[in-house]
Amino acid sequence: MEVMAKVAFCVYTAVIIGGSVFAVASSSLVRALVGLITTLVGVAGMYMLLASPFMAFMQLLIYVGAVSVLIFFAVMLTRAESGGDEASGAPMKTYVFGLAATMAPAAILGWLILTRPVASIAVPAEVSIKQLGEGLLGSYFLPFELISVILMVAMAGAVLLTWEKRGKK
Amino acid sequence: MSALTLYQIVALILLCAGLFGLTQRRSLVGMLICVELMLNGAGLSMVAAAQLTDFSATLGQLGTLFVMGLAAAEATLVLAIVVVVARRFGSAQTSDITTLKE
Repeated sequence: MEVMAKVAFCVYTAVIIGGSVFAVASSSLVRALVGLITTLVGVAGMYMLLASPFMAFMQLLIYVGAVSVLIFFAVMLTRAESGGDEASGAPMKTYVFGLAATMAPAAILGWLILTRPVASIAVPAEVSIKQLGEGLLGSYFLPFELISVILMVAMAGAVLLTWEKRGKK
Repeated sequence: MSALTLYQIVALILLCAGLFGLTQRRSLVGMLICVELMLNGAGLSMVAAAQLTDFSATLGQLGTLFVMGLAAAEATLVLAIVVVVARRFGSAQTSDITTLKE
């Protein structure tokens, strides 16, 4: 079982890294979206490895099911054909500055992770959905309500932003 | 190397990929894709830290659920903004939206 977990971790890591490289470097936005979906599925696998199947399910449902479709709509609504938005590469200066801006937090966080390791439990305990629901309706009731308000406001705001009066044009 | 460190390194890779892509992409939709990468790194890091230490696992998973909900709300709003910008400027590239600069 130990070996299987390690093999699964390596496979999911490869999926995540491959997908994220595709999502960042692809010149076509649709291919970048496919890379993003690959990464999301890999992260869902990581959640399964961490003994939280409910999180993996939610990851597939919310990200792969909803957010990806939203991004796909955005791609389709903004004329993102190949040879369009991302066809020519960024100038060299942007590349160097971007690399520097990435390496700074990566170096700090990586140094912290590697030099201050926290002892971890070997086998994570599984949290049942009942416990999660009791948490949502008990101690964390206020954030639960706030997130519904935020989703409602975001939805209403999206409708309002793209509203066009009939017969205006 | 403990298991938690390995998970945190994967989350860090996701964060770096998203951050680097955010500086490279020149269309708003591409930047949105990179932000989603970073948010996933945050979620993975939170769940790993909650499941693999003595910290309350329920709080970690609920926090990640809230991050997912916020990501959905953010994607909705960004989609609406991209549509408005594309209608107003005729494209969704960051280099075309520089009216204030001129």
